[in-house]
Amino acid sequence: MSTDSTGEYDAPEPREITVTVNGESVTAAVEPRLKLSDFLRTECGLNGVRVGCEHGVCGACTVQQDGRAVKSCLSYAVQADGAEIETVEGLADDDGSLHPIQEAFHETHALQCGFCTSGFVVATKELLEENPDPTREEIERGLADNICRCTGYQNIYEAVERAAAKMRE
Amino acid sequence: MSQSQPTEADAEPESEPESFTGQGLPRVEDHRILTGEAEYIHDVTPENCLHMALVRSMHAHAEVVDIDASEAEDHPDCELVLTAEDLKANYNPMPTGVGRIEIGASGEAVELPEWSLADEKVRFVGEPVALVVASNRYAAEDVADLVTVEYDTLEAVADGMAAREDEVVVHESIGTNVVDHERIEFGDPETAFEDADHVVSGEYSWGRISGVPLETAGVVATYDEETDSFDVDCNIQLHTLVDDTIYETLGYDADDVRVNVPADVGGSYGTKIAIHRYCCLAAMASQQLNRPVKFEEDRIENLQGGDVHSSDREYEIRMAVDDDGTMRGLDVWFVDDFGAFPRYPINQVLKPLSVVTNSYVIDDVAYEYDLVLTNKTSQTAYRGFGVDPHIYALEMVVDAAAREIGMDPTEFRRRNLITPDQMPYTLPSKNVYDSGDYPATLDRIEEIIEDERDGGLLDPDVVAEKREEGKYRGVQTSVIIEPGVSGSDWTDRQRSNREALESRSREEVDELPEHLRAELREDGTVRAYLATDSSGQGHQTLVSQLLADELEILPSEIDVDYLDSVDAPTEYGSAASRMAVMLSGATVGLAERLVERAEELAADHWDVPADDVSYRDGTVELIDGSDSLSLADLAELDAERDERLTRVSYNYDHPALEHEEFDEAFRRKFPVYPTAAFGANAPIVEVDVGTGEVEILKFHTVRDCGTMLNPTIVEGQAHGGIAQGVGAALLEEFGYEADGQPQAITLFDYLLPSIETVPEIEMEHTETPSPYTETGAKGVGEGGMIDAPASIATSINAALEPLSLDEPADRIPVAPDHLRSKIRDAEE
Ligand code: FES
Ligand code: FES
Repeated sequence: MSTDSTGEYDAPEPREITVTVNGESVTAAVEPRLKLSDFLRTECGLNGVRVGCEHGVCGACTVQQDGRAVKSCLSYAVQADGAEIETVEGLADDDGSLHPIQEAFHETHALQCGFCTSGFVVATKELLEENPDPTREEIERGLADNICRCTGYQNIYEAVERAAAKMRE
Repeated sequence: MSQSQPTEADAEPESEPESFTGQGLPRVEDHRILTGEAEYIHDVTPENCLHMALVRSMHAHAEVVDIDASEAEDHPDCELVLTAEDLKANYNPMPTGVGRIEIGASGEAVELPEWSLADEKVRFVGEPVALVVASNRYAAEDVADLVTVEYDTLEAVADGMAAREDEVVVHESIGTNVVDHERIEFGDPETAFEDADHVVSGEYSWGRISGVPLETAGVVATYDEETDSFDVDCNIQLHTLVDDTIYETLGYDADDVRVNVPADVGGSYGTKIAIHRYCCLAAMASQQLNRPVKFEEDRIENLQGGDVHSSDREYEIRMAVDDDGTMRGLDVWFVDDFGAFPRYPINQVLKPLSVVTNSYVIDDVAYEYDLVLTNKTSQTAYRGFGVDPHIYALEMVVDAAAREIGMDPTEFRRRNLITPDQMPYTLPSKNVYDSGDYPATLDRIEEIIEDERDGGLLDPDVVAEKREEGKYRGVQTSVIIEPGVSGSDWTDRQRSNREALESRSREEVDELPEHLRAELREDGTVRAYLATDSSGQGHQTLVSQLLADELEILPSEIDVDYLDSVDAPTEYGSAASRMAVMLSGATVGLAERLVERAEELAADHWDVPADDVSYRDGTVELIDGSDSLSLADLAELDAERDERLTRVSYNYDHPALEHEEFDEAFRRKFPVYPTAAFGANAPIVEVDVGTGEVEILKFHTVRDCGTMLNPTIVEGQAHGGIAQGVGAALLEEFGYEADGQPQAITLFDYLLPSIETVPEIEMEHTETPSPYTETGAKGVGEGGMIDAPASIATSINAALEPLSLDEPADRIPVAPDHLRSKIRDAEE
């Protein structure tokens, strides 16, 4: 952003997109350059999508797009046209009871400041959907794209193992 | 209002425990975070809010010749452009850490103003030159791109040692880059060094690192014309202490600038105490426009020029030692490169005095530093606050001394340890260690390592086999101290007349207490208010569990909120491993007061003397048992009164004040840290000599932080600290080119440890209560970061010992290229 060059930016016309977000269909006209992460935060009000780097390293912005965990800061909202997105807000039951992954993170103290937590919870969900009983090495590989600066990851292993056990029950 | 009540399942176990304190209760903060409901500052966007972006310097050192904002102002979304010229007409410079600097032989004092936008000259890459405001963040960045700045570049200095030569001077008004210096001697180091059998010396570098929380800085400022005052919502750390950096810059009284920090902050580790520039700029813009203005720092701005790097040191350290393995003297000299401006945390260079000899008895010590300025972004605080590099350099020279006298390094350490019968132990630098059995801790970690040698990771057969593959395994145990619960009085030593301190009286010492408030609510539940901000440490949980015990009710009947800077008195806040001790002390006092008030209300109601009533389990009873009032009944009675009795506050005094062993440190403004958490580490490392890569196979640690109020939180703090220590030791660095261009401006360049790089941490705890604190707890927020880099470095040296390299880990981070060049040099 910091530059002393000049260059006029002519905003292209907004484009209409329809995205299914946490089971609900959302239609909006968006600027083509609007990041998916910003679309979810500002247009959909889903602040659980955290933004820590906006260049694809930290994983705080991780959401599931058509079942795959993706970094929502790395794509544009227009690219999600027609897709199904699930964010951390979609995990708890309607009655407010937590998803087993959320419960497990709570019970094992796998979060401190919590800024990485949405991303870890969503990444864990994808991991456990693909592999209901991962080894430590598989957990490591599955969560290697998410950074937590607070917990030192020790309790995150435990959270994932506990969540896996709960979900297998 | 943040939800902080525990869920029923958490707080009401089937059989009620004796006490909630000491239990690993799950945190009340978690639910809102896990569901995505937590509101961090980036999530706050009031109605009618505009967005700010900054134009930043691309040069490390340059004159600003001209700023042309005409094109930016023509942009249809542009609402405002401000430059230093506008600021100077209406506002003040930001307060700096070294306010006035004496120059030349005359000792004339010169101010060193730091404007929130660069004035006439830029001094580091990323320094803000102009601010723009537009309707949204995307548009604001477009507008920022349209501001044209013309620079005349100057030669830059980006190396602390070179800066001391003053060939390039960062601030011409003061004519030197060395803005603070002190040499302090304790005992008689000169004689110790003359008399000792050996003098060993070493040179060690500590690369520029920092906390890099996942959440960047953010602020939403709202100026209210009617009251001529500001609301500044932001994620600054220590908002009741450093709010002066905002209101003084704006030119307003403290009461007119309400600094408010959300209950959830996405990590800080000390770093966010220095984000005031953004708070000031957003507030100014809001005042100019009469609308709320929001700023969200992006990651590149944060890493490149966000005023949040930390310690950047070169050490020359000497140890005097006798043939029999007695450490006789220590002589520490270092340069700390503070970047372009000496900001508030300049006392990071002094904190190591609180643990100057680590866990060893060394009576004669010299301590000297130069604090220098360069063309880099300014330093802030980071977990450990300057102790981490000191412990690293010290442990390196301890190993060097052991080699010199031909003694096993662990045995050498053991011989010099402070022993339990010496507790409380006064350091030469006058701080006092409270309690602990350091030799027993070293013995325990040695036992653990012995087990590893016997069929474990360090089994001789495995070690030999690995070595065939070019992988060198090793470990060197080391001992650690985490100084806790800093006093506040000493922190302005560098802004005081240091000579006058020698004759200062104890009565002049002025400490900040910890403030806590509570009120009884209509339904009989209790709400407490913290006067400090949090960033993941679980303070709401801690206070609710402590208060539940004191009031004999359940944690679920208590919730905990936060006060802003106007409602709270000035106090220190969450830093320097203070909160467990300060909050627990304050909670005990606060609860006593609330119980007294409850009894008073009840006695009044029944019209009996206060002695005839007593408080138990959340009710007040007549002692003859004939009647009782619940907290809800009492709240109802209280509501009828003009002045509410059940709104109470309490100020807990700093615990060192009542112990005269700290008097000398207090008087002379040497660092006062009345708790010493301690332990020993043994990270087992494996170095691939072909690639220079270091893997930590397992991190063994034995730790003691006194009484553990919530062991789950204690362990979490240690895990996180150790992980940050691993990053510091092996990965992280804000490198600079010679011309001042930063090398690490994305998270692809500044490498944070991932789940793949942090090893398994095997932790044991002992509990030796502190005699100085209300609950026996010791400070615990910074361990790991303080000690892990030193321990990893000593282990790397031990692993590579067969190669007879010259101290391969003589620089932090011990990056692969550094190790490879050491190995290559030896091969040649
Ligand atoms: S914000 Fe998307 S990866 Fe960091
Ligand atoms: S909990 Fe703070 S970054 Fe993970």
